[in-house]
Amino acid sequence: MDIRIRGVSKRYFSEGKTITALDDVTLTIASNRIFTLLGPSGCGKTTLLRCIVGLEAPDDGEIAIGGEVVWSKEKGISVPPEKRGLGMVFQTYAIWPHMNVFDNVAYPLQIRGLAREEIRERVDKTLRFVRLEGFGGRPATKLSGGQQQRVALARALVAEPKVILFDEPLSNLDAKLREETRKELRQFLGKLEITAVYVTHDRVEALALSDTIAVMRQGRIVEVGTPQKIYFDADTQFVADFIGRANLVKARVKAQEAARTLVDCGLGTIACQRRDFPVGAEVTLCIRPEFIHVVAGESGGENAVNGRIASQVFVGEAYESEIRAGAELLLARIDPDAGLKVGDAVSFRLDPAHCLLVSL
Amino acid sequence: MDRARAQLTWSLVAIVGFLTVCPVLMLALGSVSEGLTAFGEFTLDKYVEAYTDPALFDVLVNTVVFVLGSSVLATVLALFLAYLNTRTDIPFKFFFRILSIIPMMIPHLLFSVSWALLLNPSNGMINTVLRNVLGLDHAPFNIYSLQGMILVEALLDLPVAYLIIAPAMASFDVALEESSRVFGAGAWRTLVRVTLPILRPAILAAFVLGVVRSLASFAVPQVLGMPGRVNVLATHLYEMISLGFATDYGKAAAIGMSVLATSITLIYVYRALTAESEKFVTISGRGYRPTVIELGRARIPLFTIVAMLSLLMIVLPIAVLLYTSFVPYTMVPSARAFSMMTLKHWRDVLHDPLSLLALRNSLFLALGGATLGVLLSVFVGYAIVKVKSRASGILESLSFLSFSFPGIVIGVGFMWFFVQTPLYATLWALLIGYIATYLPYGIRPMASAFVQVHAHLEESSLVCGASYLTTMRRIIVPLLIPGIVSAWILMASMFVRELTLSVVLSRPGTEVLAVQILKFAEDGLWGKLSALGIIMIGVSTTLVVLATLVGARFRAAGNGG
Repeated sequence: MDIRIRGVSKRYFSEGKTITALDDVTLTIASNRIFTLLGPSGCGKTTLLRCIVGLEAPDDGEIAIGGEVVWSKEKGISVPPEKRGLGMVFQTYAIWPHMNVFDNVAYPLQIRGLAREEIRERVDKTLRFVRLEGFGGRPATKLSGGQQQRVALARALVAEPKVILFDEPLSNLDAKLREETRKELRQFLGKLEITAVYVTHDRVEALALSDTIAVMRQGRIVEVGTPQKIYFDADTQFVADFIGRANLVKARVKAQEAARTLVDCGLGTIACQRRDFPVGAEVTLCIRPEFIHVVAGESGGENAVNGRIASQVFVGEAYESEIRAGAELLLARIDPDAGLKVGDAVSFRLDPAHCLLVSL
Repeated sequence: MDRARAQLTWSLVAIVGFLTVCPVLMLALGSVSEGLTAFGEFTLDKYVEAYTDPALFDVLVNTVVFVLGSSVLATVLALFLAYLNTRTDIPFKFFFRILSIIPMMIPHLLFSVSWALLLNPSNGMINTVLRNVLGLDHAPFNIYSLQGMILVEALLDLPVAYLIIAPAMASFDVALEESSRVFGAGAWRTLVRVTLPILRPAILAAFVLGVVRSLASFAVPQVLGMPGRVNVLATHLYEMISLGFATDYGKAAAIGMSVLATSITLIYVYRALTAESEKFVTISGRGYRPTVIELGRARIPLFTIVAMLSLLMIVLPIAVLLYTSFVPYTMVPSARAFSMMTLKHWRDVLHDPLSLLALRNSLFLALGGATLGVLLSVFVGYAIVKVKSRASGILESLSFLSFSFPGIVIGVGFMWFFVQTPLYATLWALLIGYIATYLPYGIRPMASAFVQVHAHLEESSLVCGASYLTTMRRIIVPLLIPGIVSAWILMASMFVRELTLSVVLSRPGTEVLAVQILKFAEDGLWGKLSALGIIMIGVSTTLVVLATLVGARFRAAGNGG
């Protein structure tokens, strides 16, 4: 089922101030894909999720799930959450502490009035699916964080909804478990015909998990695209900076060529991937640290940059170094075997394909 | 160091053990004795006599109706108020804090009296007004009834129930309800299948504590039940021992044993329930801020109910007493009543030697008792929190025991003890009884104060080069001051108004304020009663203010070094 959101706005009133949580959001979420809402805290991503699931009512606009309008200001439609037939995994898991694992998972089926045998069968099947076989009789609160997370997933899946929503489901797990669970989740979802909407502020999670990412900021959708598009080809400085570590250099468009855009900046004249900015426009040049390949000594030619190592921090697989080039200080990763140290003269040549121009 | 601690702990076990176990033991021994003067000769006569008394059946029925009725009402009201405060957009939320704290400051005795003044069938002010306005030939309400007692007791137990239920509701992860909605359950089914079951331990705990309190309640049945001859266990016991009747402490002890056993059992149930309730406290903090339920059009009517409750519980009782202390006889407020106002009752009370004696005795008991009680609580709190040993475990259980003591019953137990000693009919008997019965109220704030004094705070001061004495003065005492102050305030204000233990233990010469007020009530001297009552509230408020100021002073001095 696809989800269509049109012109949705939501405002809060708190302490005499109006806070705009959602500002005219229009979005289409494709069927049977993993769609992620990514953004810093307070950007409105959770509010949007809660509007989709029905726990909050927008002030304006329309939301349709699988072609059925579930909320509309104009048409006066407001379907309560229990009638939307969705599945959801909450940030705190919301495992009911007074029920055991089986009863937690069985709840959506019991509410739907299914026969006892069928409930047992489907709960067992779902527990097997999330690899919690034999945990049914355990008190739900006695499980580990990862297990609780899977109970929450089982409960969201057991009624076989066509849409499942995730509200930062991994944020209460420790780093290692988070990585494993992320992988697992991707596997689980890949086996099902289900549309998943996933909210997170963790860029790595978003990149690893999603088919499509929508980056949000201050109640608005800033960019929508595949993880690759968002990472390599962001349109705005905000997205480029938010999605990964980036060196941001102020630049001015000097000339446009067929496949390249030339800019002037603190590193000299740099040839970049072509972007349709007018000549003279103020832009930002974004270079990711992994594309700065540092060599010892000076070098010349197009896109060559010379500088000195200003500082180095050893982080295990590499040195994270700051390179002073003109007025700019650029972050780069240097191979520990290169034997470079602070103060050494170094240079690197930038590949125009990895010099991304973004608007301010 | 460790040996000193062990010695301290065991001697505390001995002191607290004496205070709590002694009255229970004496009650048990008394119940199998022939009489106060014939102590120690075994007999079962008193049990036979007490439990075959034909009046007991009615008393039991009344008690069960009174206790269950008031506890259910208090719990339901508390649930309603807690829900409104924690989960809805009801305006003026500070009302709820007032509602939950102030009524604890109004003595139960005065609260009951003020309701009698308002709703008694012969000349209760509200009744008189309604009779005149509606042209009725008899009073519409009768507070001297089981229903009246239930209502007043429920209002008195409401703050305690609220303080148990509201935090449970506030720490409730709203996602637990939201998930139920998402998975297909409507609002009603969510309430029944998720919200109430999760809150069940807290609700039951509030209910059980309500049962314990109303079972021990003496002021309400004495003031409101006696005129209509509605007897419950507490007043039944009091009749057996009060002066002027054929006193029988053996029979009272025999009945008291069952009351005490019930009470102790319930307190342990309560303890288990609160532990259960804490287990259910769900992850909070990182979650989404709870959605506030918009009351919409119900907002103002619901708020009106809350405001009315506050009026009933705080403003009305005090206003009635104040008014009654100035009018020459009971009359409905009117221009005439105000023109007749007089200071006569105040003058009478201030010239009444018995009232002055009672005031002096109560002041002594409050100041001396609270100070000694806090001193003991400091050591007990230290031993419970900082010394982890078998002895400190015993100490904790012992100190918790008196939490379940019904005043009248434990008073009877103490009576059996004091009669054998020269302390009988002295203020010291009352002082010891007070401290024994109200010790948990001192220990609880001290224990939580000690929890805050983490060992690292102490150690880091020592590492910084401060001597042990300096550490004590600069670090530990300032951190304990808030606990000491609140323990002292709690104990002192309880001792100023103490009634249930005092009616048993006080003798001519050792009258206290509440006992004197009860005498005025029995004699129908409402004006004098009100004046003395207001004095009592004034004394207790002054003590609270003074203790707060002294505490702030001490803390400032500690910080200044």
